[in-house]
Amino acid sequence: MTKELEQKFAQELEENQNIIHKVCRSYTNNEADHKDLFQEITIQLWRAYPKFRGDSKFSTWMYRVSFNTAISLYRKSKRKVQTTEIYDNLKELEFHDYDESTDKQLNLLYKAIYSLNDIEKALALMYLEDKSYKEISRTLGISEVNARVKMNRTKTKLKNILNP
Amino acid sequence: MQNLDNLKDIWKNQGESNIRFTRNDIHSMVQKKSSSIVKWILIISLLEFILPNLVFVFTDFEASNVFYQKFGLENIMKFYAVIHVVIILGFIYVFYKNYKNISSESNVKILLSDILKTRSTVKYYIYYNLTIMGVIGLHIFYIVYKSPQFLKELPENSNLVMVWIISITFLALALLVFWVFYRIIYGFFLKKLKKNYAELESNGLS
Repeated sequence: MTKELEQKFAQELEENQNIIHKVCRSYTNNEADHKDLFQEITIQLWRAYPKFRGDSKFSTWMYRVSFNTAISLYRKSKRKVQTTEIYDNLKELEFHDYDESTDKQLNLLYKAIYSLNDIEKALALMYLEDKSYKEISRTLGISEVNARVKMNRTKTKLKNILNP
Repeated sequence: MQNLDNLKDIWKNQGESNIRFTRNDIHSMVQKKSSSIVKWILIISLLEFILPNLVFVFTDFEASNVFYQKFGLENIMKFYAVIHVVIILGFIYVFYKNYKNISSESNVKILLSDILKTRSTVKYYIYYNLTIMGVIGLHIFYIVYKSPQFLKELPENSNLVMVWIISITFLALALLVFWVFYRIIYGFFLKKLKKNYAELESNGLS
């Protein structure tokens, strides 16, 4: 039974792993930490999986556990990349320059998200994923009004980072 | 927010991550042990429950008993021992209950609050230990320093007030060392959690 459950879990996770990679890329700044966080999220998801009843979509549930792990449970390793590098790169961005490659813009967006605090990172990700305020307030455990206020602040902060 | 809305399209159309894991990778990941902050808090907390009581392991009971008998401290020490054990068991029960409540499926605020609550139980346990150590220490000083046996053994030119001051200073220093040690561990693990909890608690209008 456990073997079957594990196989089902591995299949679902393999298919939906991009969700976790988006969270990992936003909360870490190097490949080793990205893999560490992915592993911790996978362990937390697997522990919670037997209780997952499908009341919410698998992807919604994955987001919730992933954010919880990144914000509350994960302890970063000592590996550090100088954050100033991120800001230096951001200064090179001409945000209105549509000749910039999509990949570069995406890369800079991730770097901008990384420079936000942990809660703002979650807000930015949920904004980009078009999550409703109801879902955002449920995921974070704050009121919808507070979620709106915090979201506006995060968007302004993100915009300022992207337009130095 | 036109610019950010444009970025939304880029975000949604992003391809698969360069880092990919196969089903086999996922199978081996689920076999691994978690290194979450909660696990570390559990390990540190259990050590904090055990360590203050390890003092007893290194206690020379025979010498202690001779000392207690000499100054008539046996019943008082028995009383403190019983109270201490009952209180420790109470703390462990509350700690275990709080720990079991921690779930990665809660919302972020509840999860942070549950972890901080678990840690708070241990924090109060530490404060309790420091208090009881202080109370017992002062109680022993009081009984010993006013006992005829002690006063008889005290050199003639000794100043009892100085004896009190030196004893209390040493006791306070010992408690301070314990307190600083616990604060360092406490700050090390909870800084990030407290910061994130405060961020959620703030109404965003400041």
